[in-house]
Amino acid sequence: MPFAIFLAFPFYFALVTMFKTNLDLANVEHSPYLYNDLEGGFHWDFWNYATTEHVRFLFEDTNYPRWLLNTLLVGAAVVAITLLLAMPAGYALARLAGGWGQSAGVAIFLVYLIPPTLLFLPLSRLITQLDLKDSLWALILIYPSFTIPFATWLLMGFFKTIPQELEDAALIDGASRLKAFGLIILPISLPGILTVVIFAFSLCVNEFIYAFTFISSSEQRTVSAGIPNDLIRGDVFFWQSLMAATLIPAIPLALLYNAFLDRFIKGFTGGAFR
Amino acid sequence: MSDAVDELDSPSSALTRGDLLKRGTAAAFAVGMFGGLAEKSFGFAGPLQFAKKQLAGELRIMQWAHFVPAYDQWLDNVYVKRWGEANDVEVKIDHINNALLYSTGAAQVAAQSGHDLFWFISPPSTFQKQVIPLNDIVQEVTKKLGPMAKVARKSTYNPRTKQFYGFPDDYAPDPVQYRRSFLQEVGGSLRTWDDLRRAAPKLKAIGHPVGLGMSNEIDSNMLLTSLLYCYGGFIQNEENRIVIGQGSNRRGAIEALQVMRDIYRNGMSDEVFAWTAASNNQAFLAGRLSVALNAISIARSAEDSGNTALSDDTWLASIPRGPVMRMGNEHVMGVFVIWKFAKNKEAAKKYLVDQMLNYREHFVRSKYYNFPGWTGAIKGGFPAIRKLSAQDPHKPRGKYTVLTTIAEKYTTNPGFPGNTTPVIDEIFNTYLIPQMFAEVAQGKATPAEAVSGFARKANALYRKWRNQGLV
Repeated sequence: MPFAIFLAFPFYFALVTMFKTNLDLANVEHSPYLYNDLEGGFHWDFWNYATTEHVRFLFEDTNYPRWLLNTLLVGAAVVAITLLLAMPAGYALARLAGGWGQSAGVAIFLVYLIPPTLLFLPLSRLITQLDLKDSLWALILIYPSFTIPFATWLLMGFFKTIPQELEDAALIDGASRLKAFGLIILPISLPGILTVVIFAFSLCVNEFIYAFTFISSSEQRTVSAGIPNDLIRGDVFFWQSLMAATLIPAIPLALLYNAFLDRFIKGFTGGAFR
Repeated sequence: MSDAVDELDSPSSALTRGDLLKRGTAAAFAVGMFGGLAEKSFGFAGPLQFAKKQLAGELRIMQWAHFVPAYDQWLDNVYVKRWGEANDVEVKIDHINNALLYSTGAAQVAAQSGHDLFWFISPPSTFQKQVIPLNDIVQEVTKKLGPMAKVARKSTYNPRTKQFYGFPDDYAPDPVQYRRSFLQEVGGSLRTWDDLRRAAPKLKAIGHPVGLGMSNEIDSNMLLTSLLYCYGGFIQNEENRIVIGQGSNRRGAIEALQVMRDIYRNGMSDEVFAWTAASNNQAFLAGRLSVALNAISIARSAEDSGNTALSDDTWLASIPRGPVMRMGNEHVMGVFVIWKFAKNKEAAKKYLVDQMLNYREHFVRSKYYNFPGWTGAIKGGFPAIRKLSAQDPHKPRGKYTVLTTIAEKYTTNPGFPGNTTPVIDEIFNTYLIPQMFAEVAQGKATPAEAVSGFARKANALYRKWRNQGLV
């Protein structure tokens, strides 16, 4: 329980801050964890000492709703592409590649470790040549370059935990390899696939450098690039709106992680001993 | 250095904008008549949306997210739309966090693709080879509005190439912002740096330290270079040669480093070494700081916060005087460049000219933050600017009028008394100045050692840019 409270604390802090008045927020003598009156006192009717002004600013005076939608679209597309390519790749490396499969898997994983700070300049030129600047397609094209290696490596380990005999039995019964993969392997691999879905989606939500470099118009941005650009103006931070903007996408992600926590852990550790 | 505008007026100068338009029109007419390609020769992407207009296509502009959101909303939704309709150009304006401007500019150069007009928060002279010279529009605006502000000219003119590599749209004076009640309580004054040195320990003792950054960010850069000027520790001379390691400049720089070390040790806290550009705002608005150097975003944020006790007690003053002079850098020098790869250079040039010729509303809507690169852009010049800023309703009444004094007398460009060369730009963007001050304040180097080390690095940069023909 104390650990849960500790982990939930940032959410609570953001929740309180997003409804704070400027006067309450700026006064260092006021408690940052409660709503205070002008003298710093707490009242049980705390809603009378809070304001929705900054959340309204976020939704009405910035493109925040559009950023949320863009993030969702990019995340969904990237997850779909990642699964489409990483599942057969992981399966092939686990089953068909023989002894060098493990080495190839590690090599693919290493690609994931190349930082975007090294890649964004050359990729920027590529995106320009493809005429994808300022388009969500740029992100949909580039993001799989880091989600697929990780997903392939993760799924490879997971597929290895599934006994070969299950597939052999299906093949003997006349199923094709594709059918055996679809009917036998996929249902068993659900935790691993779910892990890939959540992890790839989280990476898309968090990614900043590509989102910032390839997209310059506010309407086309995702949350990770939109928030620091439109809510930090000059040297002024719009703290309450910043807190609201980060809390809103964090809540569904946190709930998603929480709902599938067991499967998520199973997905990550599934291939650990093979 | 000869006067840049005089050079532009000389017979040997480049084509004027008028000449260019005349010749371009003649050429277009010829091609149209004989080639049957009139539409292409004018570069029209389609039929005119608005009849009898000269420009066409799309114009993409990148600039910072202004600290006054209402200014950006007016700019994007009113001004730019109006201008686009009047010129048959579809204008798209993007805003980014000012800390990301340089990296974004570099990314656009690497990709050779991006916006037609790119605004920088300080003179981006390291990008000179990537942009087109703007002598023609500078001359056009100068003819109509009178001379460009000296700070603007020195920021954007390269005497070696005799070119304006950027268009100095706006600048922000850099006042001291202080809590009057705290200064009164300790009996302090901000007339000179020595006054501040004496007041700093008393201010810290009452729980309100001085807030002068020594960190890798723009506010520290501007303030600390200003301090060097005040003590005569100039980085370069009028001919743009590095002189900080020599003679009186070295002595002045050492003295400035000692002053800042004293103020830090007795009147500040360690946080100033890790500050971002927003940190002094936040600490001031939280009621902790007694003194900060920043553009008026601190005072304006205090007003917007509704904390009248704080905003009424926040007063503005000119930078303190040093033993050599009272002089400070601009806080922001808004410079537009047009990339060589820009697709709509003509529209970009006309946008800049038109904006400067109608700058009054920009000044007012930016809450007196954006001073025009040409003082004459506001009819009546500085006296009119002073009158406008006197109308501000916040207390103490007339507090923003001091900005006019600062702009007129005590504002200069990074690199003073020389120009803002690529050497100075790189010194700024690698934060060598705050690092030099921080080394001394933290006791890692003596002032003499720090100045010697800085001079070595500055000379290396000078040789690098000299070899490239830009200084």
